[in-house]
Amino acid sequence: MQLHPRHFGRNLRENLVSKLMKDVEGTCSGRHGFVVAITGIENIGKGLIRDGTGFVTFPVKYQCVVFRPFKGEILEAAVTMVNKMGFFAEAGPVQIFVSNHLIPDDMEFQSGDMPNYTTSDGSVKIQKDCEVRLKIIGTGVDATEILCIGTIKDDFLGVINDPTTA
Amino acid sequence: MSGEEEENASELKIGEEFLKAKCLMNCEVALILEHKYEQLQQTSEDPMNQVSQVFEKSLQYVKRFSRYKNPDAVRQVREILSRYQLAEFELCVLGNLCPETVEEAIAMVPSIKTKGRAHDDDAIERMLNDLSLIKKFE
Repeated sequence: MQLHPRHFGRNLRENLVSKLMKDVEGTCSGRHGFVVAITGIENIGKGLIRDGTGFVTFPVKYQCVVFRPFKGEILEAAVTMVNKMGFFAEAGPVQIFVSNHLIPDDMEFQSGDMPNYTTSDGSVKIQKDCEVRLKIIGTGVDATEILCIGTIKDDFLGVINDPTTA
Repeated sequence: MSGEEEENASELKIGEEFLKAKCLMNCEVALILEHKYEQLQQTSEDPMNQVSQVFEKSLQYVKRFSRYKNPDAVRQVREILSRYQLAEFELCVLGNLCPETVEEAIAMVPSIKTKGRAHDDDAIERMLNDLSLIKKFE
């Protein structure tokens, strides 16, 4: 963690921690996923002065809550958008795309104001704001977010709650 | 990254780092984030501006998908599940999804049935019963 010399003094530690929170919370990496919140500081090591700049680097060990979806994991998500290619769902900061190949074959796409996927007997409907249970089959990471591919074509997966009919 | 290729949560292949790390259920995360949010509310006037979008979205998500709201119930869930020699990750998936039948539980967490583990159907059934009891008395 790099700190500018103007922050030195009595409040060094507080400044360091608040800078850490500002810089690290909300970031995302492929290995650890999203850093949601820092929950504790374990220790702060000795600072090292950078030649030529005056900046000092401190090693900081901290604990945090991270959110990392795994391949093969089953989780619940809220549907955000439905189109003829499939649908998007959101689990916190993570976006999940379920392609129409991974939606059970007996569900058909219906266009309209509220595009949705419906079974032939109309008993099950997937549309915006539905809650679905899905399985993650692939993950891709870029600098700011994680995109997952999910499936609902398996036992015990699919819609769990439809707010419009409840 | 060869480790990345082999990742498969259904066989509990989630990388050594995450196997060792403490895994939290949605309801536990909700408690932590809410606590943090309340702290922020006390120190600044506009807490929503202080937190990152990731924090905000995560908080909304765990609130929406938490099975247990009451902090005591959350504690009980962890206590009960931890009696069954589950990996942290398995414990959390079960706590998050609350399967109702043994079959469903195995479909959600296939690794509990892999060889060398002492989980027969009866043990799983008992575990699920315990879980549904907490829910009932919450």
